[in-house]
Amino acid sequence: MRLLGRLWDYFVYLVLLAGGLSMLVPFFWMVSTSLKAPGAVFDLPVEVWPKELHWENYQRVLTSVPFGRWYLNSLGVALGLTFLNLTSGAMAGYAFARFRFRGQGALFLLFLATLMIPVHVLIIPLFILMRNLGWVDTFYALILPGLFDAFAIFLMRQHFLHLPKELEEAAIMDGASPWQVYWKVALPLATPALATLGTFTFLAGWNSFLWPLIVTHSLEMRPLTVGLAVFQGQFSTEWTVLMAGLTLGTIPPILVFLLAQRYFIQGLTLGSLKG
Amino acid sequence: MRAYYRFPLLFLLPSLVGFLAFNLGPILASLLLSFISYDGLRPLTLATFRENWVGLENYRRLLEDPVFHKAFINTLFYVGVAVPLEILVALLLALGLNRPLPGVRLLRTLYLLPTVTSVVAVGLLWRWVLNPTVGPVNLSLRWVGERIQGVYGLLGITPPPWVGWLAKEGPGWLSDPAWAMWGVILASVWAGVGLRMLIFLAGLQNINKEYLEAASLDGANSLQRFAYVVLPLLSPTVFLNTLLAMIGGFQMFGLVYTMTGGGPLDSTNVLMLYLYRKAFGVFPFEMGYASAIAWVLFLILFALTYLQWTLRKRWVVEEV
Repeated sequence: MRLLGRLWDYFVYLVLLAGGLSMLVPFFWMVSTSLKAPGAVFDLPVEVWPKELHWENYQRVLTSVPFGRWYLNSLGVALGLTFLNLTSGAMAGYAFARFRFRGQGALFLLFLATLMIPVHVLIIPLFILMRNLGWVDTFYALILPGLFDAFAIFLMRQHFLHLPKELEEAAIMDGASPWQVYWKVALPLATPALATLGTFTFLAGWNSFLWPLIVTHSLEMRPLTVGLAVFQGQFSTEWTVLMAGLTLGTIPPILVFLLAQRYFIQGLTLGSLKG
Repeated sequence: MRAYYRFPLLFLLPSLVGFLAFNLGPILASLLLSFISYDGLRPLTLATFRENWVGLENYRRLLEDPVFHKAFINTLFYVGVAVPLEILVALLLALGLNRPLPGVRLLRTLYLLPTVTSVVAVGLLWRWVLNPTVGPVNLSLRWVGERIQGVYGLLGITPPPWVGWLAKEGPGWLSDPAWAMWGVILASVWAGVGLRMLIFLAGLQNINKEYLEAASLDGANSLQRFAYVVLPLLSPTVFLNTLLAMIGGFQMFGLVYTMTGGGPLDSTNVLMLYLYRKAFGVFPFEMGYASAIAWVLFLILFALTYLQWTLRKRWVVEEV
């Protein structure tokens, strides 16, 4: 019985290990294809890892489409959304955590209720609004709708509620204005929450697809996700070049995730479990 | 001191502006849009609403639109298969990865990698991985098929036709209408299982160890501990995880857009893709009609959430 249990444990471990490695197979296939000779990808038997490395696929993806521009767009959108989301989310979260005002509870509930509204209800009128404002194909349309995010407000409020009030009260005694208290005392103490929210928003922004697809039309304004998806038709005959583009595009989110794993996970689990 | 805490407006202003302009306003507009016929080209004013008012016509058209029916059924099928599969695999993974195994942190990270990869990358990548002739999935299936064929050969029996099929070609994943949705489901489970696993892991770690110890002292084996202690205590997490997965599943878009574009023969067309096509994809744009699709989809989600919430009392154990 004892031995059987041990064997079972080893078996489970092997399955987990095999599963974990199988998560890597598609990524491996992506990198391997990106280094193959363009004509050789359909040769049988299949070369698992190319003997000759064809780096020119990377050169081609950089020159045949505005890849650098797409990359910068993605970076701009992800950073812009992160900045906006953190700023407005932390401010509103602070207001809900620390101030008392009429209708506070109702307003907070109203904000939270928007989490129930799926994005697809918003996109059509939001697009019409953007077009009326003349913002289609600009960074305004890509970033500004991030001004309001109920999840960010909720997360920051939770965090501020858990901060001890004493430091803030001391600052008030010294005659600091609400803004000074927030900016100089409360916000610096909220760095872990900001890092959590920031990591989360950056990744969501870098990976966003539907909204940028709708609201950008020119080649120059596409973020990387949309650029690659829309141009897959042109690429699909050239899998090696497409895979080179995907490899380059997958590096930033995975790098950010590996560096800020802790914060990313907090952001996800805080959102789904009562903290 | 009390007076100090009375100046929230400055702090709330950015969010309020964003809420009204980009959230509440559009929601109301969306509802009104679903009652008009609107091509998205004319400027939208109050007069547009008055002149193009069709009442419930858009909703009535949905009832007899065969493509909508197809997309509706496909969406249900996708959610019905992918969500239980994802939840089950994620739960098993979480149970396995909740133990102090060597390299367990690294393993968890591996499972999470697809979660942080964009749907576009996942979709395009899987189109290639599922390539019927040179993709690793069919290469492996063919390898397995050949081995089975070999065994039959050794025994001197003719193998059934599916063995030969597996060894020679295998499923025509994204090009065959019978297989295309399965290809999408495969990619989506691969991409989504890590996130679900993580949420289960957090739920498992919230379970008070004393309950498990008490059960052990009472002589419960590991299977009994799972069935009578872990699963009931985990049920709120299972509930939430399933609900979130379903809500996400109904709004699935990026994967089908990049993997199949809804084809072949609408076999992977889902509600979100159809909505997108109607509003932005195919000329003439029908934004009123697409808005009606959006609201039907919302009503489904709302009903499902409500239903789950009500049924929750039957199976979710609330800790007191």
